[in-house]
Amino acid sequence: MGRILIVDDTLFMRTLLKNILSSGGHDIVGEAEDGDVGVEKYKELKPDLVTMDVVMPKMNGIEALKAIKSLDTNAKVIMCTAVGQEQMVKLAIKSGARGYIVKPFQAPKVLEEIGNVLGA
Amino acid sequence: MTEVPVKIEKNGSWITSKIDVTQNGITLREPYNQDILYRSIIDLQQHKTVLIITASGEAKSENQYKIASVEKVLVVLKKRIIMSCNAYRLMAHFMSPAIRGGVLVTDAKWEKGAIAVLKTGIWFISQDKQICVLLDEVTSLELTKRELQKKKLDVVKIDYLEDNDVVTSFILCPLSTLQVLYSFLRDATKDKDMKGAELDQLDAQSAQVAMLVYSGMDTHAIENMLNISQKELDEIYETLLRLKLVEVVMIRKEVQLTPKGVRYITEALRPPA
Repeated sequence: MGRILIVDDTLFMRTLLKNILSSGGHDIVGEAEDGDVGVEKYKELKPDLVTMDVVMPKMNGIEALKAIKSLDTNAKVIMCTAVGQEQMVKLAIKSGARGYIVKPFQAPKVLEEIGNVLGA
Repeated sequence: MTEVPVKIEKNGSWITSKIDVTQNGITLREPYNQDILYRSIIDLQQHKTVLIITASGEAKSENQYKIASVEKVLVVLKKRIIMSCNAYRLMAHFMSPAIRGGVLVTDAKWEKGAIAVLKTGIWFISQDKQICVLLDEVTSLELTKRELQKKKLDVVKIDYLEDNDVVTSFILCPLSTLQVLYSFLRDATKDKDMKGAELDQLDAQSAQVAMLVYSGMDTHAIENMLNISQKELDEIYETLLRLKLVEVVMIRKEVQLTPKGVRYITEALRPPA
């Protein structure tokens, strides 16, 4: 099971993901409410995986993803976005994201995706 | 004409038989010995290895035939029936599934084929795939845009339930045809839409509960996450049940010990003599 950092600007989504990932046996090592805080926490915590919201107020998820990848080319980041924004997937994958989940999501599928990315 | 081996159901019994597949229809041999023209077929469903064909008969009657066979034979039958039956049909590109349970299907690609809207479902047919989406399982329909080869194109997005997963598929074709398809599908599924009075009964917390149920959280986890009591959550569940947004899958019991139970526990905890 993995050490996971959750980056999302809404408390509800962070709590939901925390519940889902904990129920799957993962360890939530930190949370961040914006992309810039997420990058700082990545440096500090060095998690196995990051779940990254795309739309955030100060630094969006794509910028945060690029910043994390420049620190660690092996960083595993799964992007998390709302319906209608899935077109960001190409940009995210190009920037180094390992996976993509669309809200609203279902726990078993999310856990399966997390497992696939951690195992890869 | 092609002859294929099948089993045909009649009055609850399955009989080994054959079907002749012709240009204009199929001929069921025993026990029916009947021709069914493709243009009389108004519906097709598949449950595992069984096809259920609904054909219109005399005086607006409908007859249903259940046919079982190996996948290779079913594929032939499905393709022939879907491309020739009595249905709204168009040639289109589709991507199905594009998203499953919120997770993007990474090897999803556009396939060239046909879309047919029958009585109970929408069929996507290509060289390699035959996918049916039951109209009753459609949860959302949207006319939206999707990027393809650096161009933003209009697509119909369909969300539906498949084995408890929410699946998203896309359909792409010329805009005028897409608009006709979208209107057709909206009309076919309009009785599933929520009415204004129903929406008024849902507050923000009810919507949060519905979303947590969608994500797979159980009752206990929802109570903890939203910091609400069992009674408060039960009241929200009642609202969602009344609006038919949820259905009961399990009733848990809360119990307390009887005097006999207390005696058992007391004895069990007594240190051994």
